[in-house]
Amino acid sequence: MNKKKFILFPLLALFLSSCLFDTDDDGLSNWLSDQGMPSSYDVQTVTVPDLKPVSAKVFENLRPKSIYSSGIFGATSGMSHDVVFDFVIDTTVYTSFWTGLKKADSAKSFLQLRLVDSYYLFKPAPSGILPVEDDIELNVSWILSDKLTGQEINDLASINDSAWQYGLTSWKEKKSADTTASISIKAVTSSKTVSLADTLLELNLPSALVNDIRKKTCSRRLQLRLSAPEAPHVYRFYGPDVFSPRLVVQNSETGDFLRFNTVRAAVIPKNLEKCKDCLVLHGGSLDSLEVEFPSKPIMKALSEFYGDEFPYNVGDSNDVRQAVVMAELTFYRDDTKGESEIDLPIMVRNGSYVDSAESVVFRAENYIPDRLRINEHGHPNMVFYEGDSLALQVTAGMRNFINKASDGRSFRMLMRLERSVLLPSDSSYSVLVRQDTTFKDEDKKEVKSIRTDTIPVFFPYTNYARYDFSTIKNKPATLKLWLASKRGENTDKKKIVKIDTAKSVKTEGKKVTTSTARGGK
Amino acid sequence: MKKFISALLCVSSFSFASMIGLDAIGQEQIAGGSAAMAGRGFAGNAKTGDTEGISTVNPARQAFDTKVSLNLNFLLDVSTADRSNSHFTKTDISMPSMNLTFPMGDFGTFGVSLWQHYSASMRETLEDEKEQWNAEIEYQSSIYELVPTYAIRLPFLRMVSLGASAHFVMGSFTRSLTLGADNSGIAKEDAWATSDVDLSDYVHGDWDIKHHPAYYSFAVQYRGRMASYFFSFTTPYTLSNTLDYNFRFSELDTLAPTRKTREIRIPAMLATGVNYRINKRHNVMADVAWRAWNRDIDNVAGSWNMTQMTKTQNDFNISVGYQRDGSDVFYDSYWDRMTYRAGAWYKNWYVEDVSEIGGAVGAGFPLGRRGTTLDLSIQGGVRLTDDDHNWSESFIGIRLGLVGVGSWGKARGQ
Repeated sequence: MNKKKFILFPLLALFLSSCLFDTDDDGLSNWLSDQGMPSSYDVQTVTVPDLKPVSAKVFENLRPKSIYSSGIFGATSGMSHDVVFDFVIDTTVYTSFWTGLKKADSAKSFLQLRLVDSYYLFKPAPSGILPVEDDIELNVSWILSDKLTGQEINDLASINDSAWQYGLTSWKEKKSADTTASISIKAVTSSKTVSLADTLLELNLPSALVNDIRKKTCSRRLQLRLSAPEAPHVYRFYGPDVFSPRLVVQNSETGDFLRFNTVRAAVIPKNLEKCKDCLVLHGGSLDSLEVEFPSKPIMKALSEFYGDEFPYNVGDSNDVRQAVVMAELTFYRDDTKGESEIDLPIMVRNGSYVDSAESVVFRAENYIPDRLRINEHGHPNMVFYEGDSLALQVTAGMRNFINKASDGRSFRMLMRLERSVLLPSDSSYSVLVRQDTTFKDEDKKEVKSIRTDTIPVFFPYTNYARYDFSTIKNKPATLKLWLASKRGENTDKKKIVKIDTAKSVKTEGKKVTTSTARGGK
Repeated sequence: MKKFISALLCVSSFSFASMIGLDAIGQEQIAGGSAAMAGRGFAGNAKTGDTEGISTVNPARQAFDTKVSLNLNFLLDVSTADRSNSHFTKTDISMPSMNLTFPMGDFGTFGVSLWQHYSASMRETLEDEKEQWNAEIEYQSSIYELVPTYAIRLPFLRMVSLGASAHFVMGSFTRSLTLGADNSGIAKEDAWATSDVDLSDYVHGDWDIKHHPAYYSFAVQYRGRMASYFFSFTTPYTLSNTLDYNFRFSELDTLAPTRKTREIRIPAMLATGVNYRINKRHNVMADVAWRAWNRDIDNVAGSWNMTQMTKTQNDFNISVGYQRDGSDVFYDSYWDRMTYRAGAWYKNWYVEDVSEIGGAVGAGFPLGRRGTTLDLSIQGGVRLTDDDHNWSESFIGIRLGLVGVGSWGKARGQ
């Protein structure tokens, strides 16, 4: 017998023995049970009705925003949007033009903006975007610098956009003038295609501006602001990254002109709401509404359900006896006080303040679609849609809140208007519906996408809207918790605990009965 | 070399196979878990030799070593837990110890050992849609000891040596029980919220000794012409295990954990043993180690109906063994140069009503001329329990030990 065989035999014996050491189907399950461990966690639900917020306030977002690929100006849904362009008027080139312009009896200037045709011609959008036929009053203000050196002109390009935006919050124009403009945006249909009649929007600027420019023959910086707070619409144009807005200066006598691309541009939003106490959120401007709920009713409901003390005050007081697997907060909703630029449902996204690394941070909730409910009633977290409730998932926030409730905190959440939904009954919650998918269109008719279709679920453009959430202050909300507990059978309360099922909440026109809370196994 | 070290670390992250005491401190690896010791039933702590090396029970023994030796041990273990016609099997690979001894002539012998003294290891998955089972259980606990040892033969009584070792304790504990949802208790229309949500009952912490950097062993060894004896005493100590209890939805989605520290009083250990040389190379040996536990152990527990306490009993280990040493003459036949071992042991675990009966056979295969050896042992046995919590087990295992020998500090031919 050689050495190899000598080693091989024990290994073979071990292998054969391993085969004899078998596992039966429920061996591990029985072992877990004997160790006091479950094979899965029991899901239990608790409903906390009549939750009244202790506070609710709106945080506006009125900071100027840079325009890169597209921008807007005008007014809609309680907001006006001014636009500011930053130009460099370099007169060191084309000197004969500037000389002629200075001597000319009349000159004019206008802005050229390329309209976002993909928005205005967006096929799946509901009708109503076009045509636009507006006569608007336009206030034009500007800051024209003194003479700049060549180096100073070069330096303008390196100004940080955010620094420029910050400076716009305290805009101090040197001059301004009012004018009017006629805006006409309409589609023309040829044999096969639909296009805009004119994608170039030209806005005549006051003569005071061009006179100011041609007064001195030197290189200067021009910051130009357009304001149209009374306009019935916002007008969408491509930004410097796609098609740069241009300032055109023209000699009226000769017809000669020069065009200047904007170096940068920004939108300055302004809140035109008159009701200061209303909880109005604006879509497209990242306003957010913070709602704060008291701890006591939630702790009381949990205490009644588990029969344990809540909040947890043992040791370091971090409560890990149970965890929130899902939490949904349902508010009463009244769409009549809102308005939106485009008649589409708008999703409300929300988040909560949670602890992270010794500090409190805002965490957006990860929305889990309830596919059956969505197929039947649409997403529950939408406004401007049928029904009278708004159900927002607050899982991460409620999980953190119950975990740390011993420090006496209240539950705070934030919500904001987000994307508009083209297919509100599509439960895939993805960007595109797959081919050959049946979905409901905006008229609630079932439509089957054809093989080559890619149907966007969400409207890919901002839908400027306002929504008044003031009812949140008066109408109580209902919290529903899906819980997993580490409690064993011996410590669980065996009795059935009924929190309150009498007051159910209407959702999407259908009465959804809050499930009876259950304790123990 | 890097690959070798990586492989060692990988193997050492696994552990022994028993499912008893997982929630307490786990399974104890007797006598450093060396393959040579296992081959003779964990007896022979009193046996001296050129390359016997470190004994975690008897630090005085190494004083009689004459050659530098490095010893690496590996264990492949298969255990089947069994109760009432229900059983399941698990397999583990571990590296119980690494030892280095460095004899310095009249200045004694220095040694160092990395010993996985206690460990709990398990990773099993259970899935049955029909029965609503969806669980994954994982235990990874290792109580490592870094054990520097020193032993010296008495200058005026050369057959007697004294030895001492310090056991620096380190390691970590992890228990993760990942469960799927059982929605049978809620309304059907509510099941959407949790049907795909797994969560883990997660406990993690570190091992330490309370108030002291280490615990200590002291031993005296007598080596006679035919018989050798030792006696050792290991100090009691308190293991401190600080644990964070949590509920996890993912690694990044957790609750703020609640922290608890459990303290485990490990009692003093008394150990003695004898080795008797029957003939030129035949040895019989017997060892006894004993500890009187007077306190129960707080389990990790903390969830569902897991047992809060592991009741203890006096634990002892009685082992007997036989070893025929291999010839150190290189020109003898290979069979004659091999070492043969056999032994058996009876161990009363620290867990109440748990005892273990095992037997082993082993052999040492010389590799080359310089004394490098590959030790192989095959062990098997049963662990018997008599409570509602632990299941009886059958086990079989194979241990491999690699002993590298050098003669540092000596001129060639010395």
